[in-house]
Amino acid sequence: MSIVLNNITKHYGADLVLDDVSDEIPSGSLTALLGPSGSGKSTLLRIIAGLEPHDGGQVHLHGRDVTTVAARQRNIGFCFQDYAPFNQMSVFDNVAYGLKVRRVPAAQRRREVDDLLGLVRLSEFSDRYPRQLSGGQRQRMALARALAIKPDVLLLDEPFAALDAQVGAEMRVWVKSLQRELGITTILVTHNQSEAMEVADRLVILHRGRIEQVGPPEQVYDKPATDFVHGFLGPLTTWMGTSYRPHDLQLCDDGDGLSARVVDVVRLGFEVRVVVEREGATTWVQLTHHEARQFNPVVGSLVSISAR
Amino acid sequence: MRGRSWLLRTAVLAYVGALIALPLYFVFQRMLAHGFGAFARALGDHEMDSALWLTVRVALLAVPLNVIFGVGVSLWIVRHPSSLSRLIDTLVDLPLAVSPIVIGLSLELAYAQNGWLGRPLASWGLHLMFNYWAIVMASIYVSIPLVSRQVIPLLREVGTHQEQTAQTLGAGSVRIFFTVTMRSLTWATAYGVTLTLARVIGEYGAVLIVSGNVAYVTETLTLNIGNNFDNFSPDQGFVGAGLLALSSIFVLLVLGLARHRERLRHEYRP
Amino acid sequence: MAYFSLVVLIPAAALVTHAFAHGFGSWWSSLTQRESLSALRLTIACAAGAALVNTVAGTATAWILVRDRFAGQSILNALIDLPFALPTVVAGVTFYTLYGPHSPLHVNVTGTWVGITVAITFVTLPFNVRAVQPLLESRTFHAEAAAATLGASSWRVFRTITLPVLAPAILTGTGLAFARALGEYGSVVFISNNLPYRTQVASSYVYSLATSGQVDAAAAVSTGLLILALAVLASVNLVSRRVARSQ
Repeated sequence: MSIVLNNITKHYGADLVLDDVSDEIPSGSLTALLGPSGSGKSTLLRIIAGLEPHDGGQVHLHGRDVTTVAARQRNIGFCFQDYAPFNQMSVFDNVAYGLKVRRVPAAQRRREVDDLLGLVRLSEFSDRYPRQLSGGQRQRMALARALAIKPDVLLLDEPFAALDAQVGAEMRVWVKSLQRELGITTILVTHNQSEAMEVADRLVILHRGRIEQVGPPEQVYDKPATDFVHGFLGPLTTWMGTSYRPHDLQLCDDGDGLSARVVDVVRLGFEVRVVVEREGATTWVQLTHHEARQFNPVVGSLVSISAR
Repeated sequence: MRGRSWLLRTAVLAYVGALIALPLYFVFQRMLAHGFGAFARALGDHEMDSALWLTVRVALLAVPLNVIFGVGVSLWIVRHPSSLSRLIDTLVDLPLAVSPIVIGLSLELAYAQNGWLGRPLASWGLHLMFNYWAIVMASIYVSIPLVSRQVIPLLREVGTHQEQTAQTLGAGSVRIFFTVTMRSLTWATAYGVTLTLARVIGEYGAVLIVSGNVAYVTETLTLNIGNNFDNFSPDQGFVGAGLLALSSIFVLLVLGLARHRERLRHEYRP
Repeated sequence: MAYFSLVVLIPAAALVTHAFAHGFGSWWSSLTQRESLSALRLTIACAAGAALVNTVAGTATAWILVRDRFAGQSILNALIDLPFALPTVVAGVTFYTLYGPHSPLHVNVTGTWVGITVAITFVTLPFNVRAVQPLLESRTFHAEAAAATLGASSWRVFRTITLPVLAPAILTGTGLAFARALGEYGSVVFISNNLPYRTQVASSYVYSLATSGQVDAAAAVSTGLLILALAVLASVNLVSRRVARSQ
């Protein structure tokens, strides 16, 4: 189920929230709508879902123009950032809701819901209520609920934002493999660039209502189309007047590079940052654990820097 | 707050005890002052029984109507913000601050035979003043804020995400209203219903004006109590007062339960 | 729904029309009749007295309901709602009998401002308690604990930490109580003995005008009461928002 967006425009009062946004999302892909807050990404997602009206342009789902079609008829699965659980219903009833709407007979309903709960590993929680679940469990319930109706498209609004680091990391891996397994066209909205690059096959970077760049993560990271994308996707530092990624700079033997004085050494577990100063300008270089041990930079000493 | 807490506690308990508990006890004491036999006989007083029955009939219509209207208006105010809905929001709260006599008076001015609406309505054969319908109307007017003040904050807190999710799952508006919206409002509505019931059976000032206070016809239980006192039959009056006090205690129990359940709803218990 | 709500406005419109039926001058003179002024003065004074007492009592009650722990606490909590739930006429006749000519306590405050004030105090206590209680339950606890660790005495904590946070809510509760008290009828009409010029409350006065056929005058005084109540609510709203903002 591919999604085609043609010239989507949206105003909110006097503000232009989405400005002529067009894109084609391939069937079966996991696309991340990435951008800072206020870039319009959540609004775009809701427009694709049919939960919000737009002022101009069309939305096509698998060739069919759904611009005027109501949300309940678009057969999409949507997950809000707060998971929007139906608090007064059990986990089972939450997941079964869409099936009940479609008048699936009770026995079949039970089978499908049990399968889904097994898929998201919530089988023992079937009779519990959302308030008895943790954040990660609620998210899995929300996913199961959306998948129950066998949607053509899955839309996730900041799915990992409310989870703590450990749980979030696990969920990202799990969602990615689930999507691969099911093959369902998925769009997820996030403001976190490392999350987007970890999970998605394809990034759509939005800034102030406009698409800045589209492409697979490595391509967008290595060949940014605009300054905004360059700065947004990864850290930047300046060395001798040019912008570099800190890991594209390295310490080298004296004579092979230009010298600078070490101002600070920050050890972050897996990476080591060396902050240096030359001719009044500060630069930071990212080293691997191994390299740091090899060169052993000390605050106050001189080191040689070159680009990789 | 260790050493002085018992002092504060005693002071407050004495205050509330004297102000609230004492009169409450006194009502029941007076109700049974002449023994249980006299009380049983007084329960059979024809005028009071007729008044009691009228009060029940009023409640049967006024309470459901008020809940429907209250929930409807609350949904409208929260989901369709506009200057008109903000105005209605303020107006809906008004009966809390306005004298019931004033409410009764304004209803009379509007719906009496020679009133603004009364005249056209009378020409169609509809009379809405000094009868059962007037009492129902007055009861609804004074109770309007009781439901909305419970429901509106809850609607704001719950937000629209659940309803929008239900939309994406294919549900239509009616189904969403009953399976999602109302489900999250149950205890707030129950609270509002209970308060409405208490207010409807207990309304005095507004009903005094709009009913005409005709014995056996438009005399509610509250009017009956007042009339008994004015006519120097305080013992009969206290029987009615005792009945209403009993219903108030029942109301308090239900309110306490609803509040307790609401608190549970907010707790995260794995 | 919009149109239905407008129907609610019609009686209000009728009231205002009748109030000003003979022009602004006539409205003003109805309001400032000796009997009217005396009723208004009495009502405002008793309402203010009751509101003041309950501001302190209500906050204290809320405090021990939230911060203290003792047997019968839930009964107390339920009892606070009694004046909400109890019909005004029941309160009215009970107070008359309890504190009147045949009082078992041998007090007689019928026909005095004391009696009226006691009745109003009963009716309005819940407003003050329930306005403050939710704030004590959630908003002030951590700040108070922090202040205590810094060595502040309980009274100082209350005065400097708790009270400022509670102030807007206390004001709102008092304002609501006062506005309600202005229009109170059923609970005060019996104990007041309803003596014109002496112990007749405003709502009684309106009632007597209405039942003696002087509906326009009744409407006039009613709108006066309405304006007063609205003014109180609006200013309380304003002040409490300003107090909340200054924190």
